[in-house]
Amino acid sequence: MSARSSLWNTAKKCVTIGLIGVTVKDRYVSIAAVRGGSMSPSLNPVTDEVSGSRVSTFDDYVLVEKFCLGRYRFSHGDVVIFTSPTNHKERHIKRIIGLPGDWVGISHIDDVMRVPEGHCWVEGDNLLSSLDSRSLGPIPLGLIRGRVTHVVWPPSRIGRVKREIRQPTVPSY
Amino acid sequence: MFPTLNLAGDVLIVERVSHRRGKVGPGDVVLVKSPVDPRKTITKRIIGVGGDWVTFPVGPGNGDRSRSVMVPKGHVWIQGDNMYASTDSRNFGPVPYGLILGKVFCRVWPPEGFGSISH
Repeated sequence: MSARSSLWNTAKKCVTIGLIGVTVKDRYVSIAAVRGGSMSPSLNPVTDEVSGSRVSTFDDYVLVEKFCLGRYRFSHGDVVIFTSPTNHKERHIKRIIGLPGDWVGISHIDDVMRVPEGHCWVEGDNLLSSLDSRSLGPIPLGLIRGRVTHVVWPPSRIGRVKREIRQPTVPSY
Repeated sequence: MFPTLNLAGDVLIVERVSHRRGKVGPGDVVLVKSPVDPRKTITKRIIGVGGDWVTFPVGPGNGDRSRSVMVPKGHVWIQGDNMYASTDSRNFGPVPYGLILGKVFCRVWPPEGFGSISH
């Protein structure tokens, strides 16, 4: 009898912890793994930008906060994690370069475009190997799943992920 | 979404599981985060998914011209049932599948309209 009741107690604790964990993960904070070197040197730094060989063999793990999803108010330079517009099962981590209404320069075709309402322009820090708005176009803000605030693993790289404002590439006349 | 749904006051049951498994397709009425304002949720019907060609009249009140568009991979084409008064993919283009929030399962209010939403 006592074995059954202790099993039941363990089961109740697991379900409670599971529910709390899922709620926290969906609404407050979660941890995500960074794959690839498109955000080097801020995340997963690479030694050689062309070949992509990495400084460390381990991927960075980052803290993602979900409070920003209440009002969808982001700032230039925020690093965000978003669902890919071409495959809803994939997520990407990039930096916000342009917000709705901004003019962004597309250097490879020498043109500028205005970021539409409800969208943002994202680019990786490592422009040589980053799949971002330069090929995918502006990303709807609704695809953003959270904002990256800190690196939590490996221990040598624990620290804030800083908001870096890149100078806009629009030519000024 | 008139006449499928009333202009205001309908209460629907929305299930939020099938879109995560990719099981939402043409004919389904879905809740979508608006691509124009992420704080708003819109209810539309899926007309086509990635790879489909969709044909729609350009301005339903303005004659018979129509346009055909190929829906890119990973996107869906959504339209409201009330073609004359709906802002949908005909205005803002195909929307990424990741913006879908859930599928409308059935209506519970008003009582006369109780039951599943028709195709």
